[in-house]
Amino acid sequence: MDAESQDRFREFVESRSSALLRTAVLLCGGDRHAAEDQLQTALVKVAGRWSRVEDPEAYVRQVLYRQQVSWWRLKWPRREVAVAEPPERADDGGESAAELRVVMRGALARLTPRQRSVLVLRYYEDLPEADVARILGCSVGTVRSTAHRSLARLRSLAPELAALGPAAAEASPPRDISPVEVRP
Amino acid sequence: MNVDQLVREALQEQAAEQGGPRGDLAGRVLATRRRRRARTITGAALGTAAAVVVGVSALDSGREDAGPASASRTGDVIAHSGQSVPRDFVAAGKTGLAGYSVTRDVPQRNGDELLARSYFLLNPKTMKYEKADTEWAWVAVAPGMRTAAVLEGELPTRRVGMLDLRTGKVTRWITLRHGVAAVEWSPDGKRLVATAYRKNPDLMVSVPGNGSVNWPRHHGSRTGYVLIEAASGKVGPFRDVPQPDPDEDGMFPGVSRQDLHFNHDGTRLYVQQYARQGKKDYRDWYTLSGRPTSAPPAEKHAGRAQAGLSPDGRLLAADGDAKGSPVLDPMTGRRVAWVPSQEQLAWADSKRIIALACADPARCTGKNNDPKRLVLVTVDSKKAVPLTGARTAPQGYKRVWTPMLTAR
Repeated sequence: MDAESQDRFREFVESRSSALLRTAVLLCGGDRHAAEDQLQTALVKVAGRWSRVEDPEAYVRQVLYRQQVSWWRLKWPRREVAVAEPPERADDGGESAAELRVVMRGALARLTPRQRSVLVLRYYEDLPEADVARILGCSVGTVRSTAHRSLARLRSLAPELAALGPAAAEASPPRDISPVEVRP
Repeated sequence: MNVDQLVREALQEQAAEQGGPRGDLAGRVLATRRRRRARTITGAALGTAAAVVVGVSALDSGREDAGPASASRTGDVIAHSGQSVPRDFVAAGKTGLAGYSVTRDVPQRNGDELLARSYFLLNPKTMKYEKADTEWAWVAVAPGMRTAAVLEGELPTRRVGMLDLRTGKVTRWITLRHGVAAVEWSPDGKRLVATAYRKNPDLMVSVPGNGSVNWPRHHGSRTGYVLIEAASGKVGPFRDVPQPDPDEDGMFPGVSRQDLHFNHDGTRLYVQQYARQGKKDYRDWYTLSGRPTSAPPAEKHAGRAQAGLSPDGRLLAADGDAKGSPVLDPMTGRRVAWVPSQEQLAWADSKRIIALACADPARCTGKNNDPKRLVLVTVDSKKAVPLTGARTAPQGYKRVWTPMLTAR
């Protein structure tokens, strides 16, 4: 990387690292230290391909998500994820929206990285299933079924969420096998 | 509220709480990348050096590397284009940056001015440049970058040290009968030419007098030279090659430091003379035994460009200006090619030259204080590959560094 490329890389990191770190923190279930590690690893990869990568942010995001999936594949059964609050709380029947978000955050931290990646892509990045499939390198059916199971697991992890209405992803039964709709 | 809405809100809330990454993330990333590359580079350097130089096998291929981030290795080119002061080994082809020097003016009590040098030399163990012992007033790194010849203390001095660059220790002192102020290695690394002076040629002497002539100026005290066999330390006979006397006004015509240099194949010696009084740059030629002689046919058009004749003898480097420089046919002196660099320092192979080139075209005027960087240029190519960043002064110095290139 020459000096000019290095300057461009620094500009990119300076302007986009906060946004990328936010995504990384969500993918790591709130583990900030792990997120910084993941982001740094992804940035090292994009730095190595800097002259060939047209859209560095998209590249870094893809690396972040795929690192999660790879990590999940390699480390299964997954290691514990440190969370600030216990995921389950006593059901006093009167949770506010803020309390529910805290409960949800704890439950999200206990999902597998793969489940969490699908939810982050679907609900934080607001990507359609086909794009999620492309980024994760799987089929749309897998995305759909993973989202369905992830939401179900959230309910099981946190009884406080039982009263919530079903999500659209929960409306249809999961389909593990579906036509591959991954775009090139 | 649906569960997916709560998921969305929880994620957005958690994301919103995050600040930016700690510290210099880009710097950490680039440093990590550079460390990985450095391992590769150092390993490759080991392979190259082992074939050429005995002793460089002590390199530590796994050592952590703390230099700047823009390290790159493409083929036989090791560049650090982000280092405005070299910290990590730079090389291209058969030639490497053995070190660099920085000069500073040291006013003397009597009104004289001394140009003193500080040296930064490659440590073959770490493949980094380190500040050399301040005792060394002159350093010449031998081909292979394992040994350097050093002169210590005040110049001229009557002994030459053989410095082991791996240990930083002088392994042998060679005593001379005459005080010398420069040593230079022959191209094959077997001999040294040591130029003798009566007075330090880096000293500008204050001349008592009136008016405009009363400023420190060149003196011209060269007396001759000796050749030294590096392996045995045997010193050859002293050869008289004095500088001309001062003119009728008491002014020395030229510069005090006019060292003897080996030519392309080490069979003759020359003194570089710079353009003055209507004459172009030229060289005074001597046989190894000190008799004035003519230029070798292939070097009769050689000027001040340090690179000189290409390894295959087919091209002659010349210095140009900020826009570029001609490459000459050595036999005719005619321009046969062009390179986009200003000062040609050393050939990397028979087609590529390590040179100094303008680092910022908007600021280059062709003058000495132009911002320049070390580059690799290829004959008849417009591309200059940066090997270092634009030169700046090392910390604690006012002047930019001067590269010392030698065969690796």
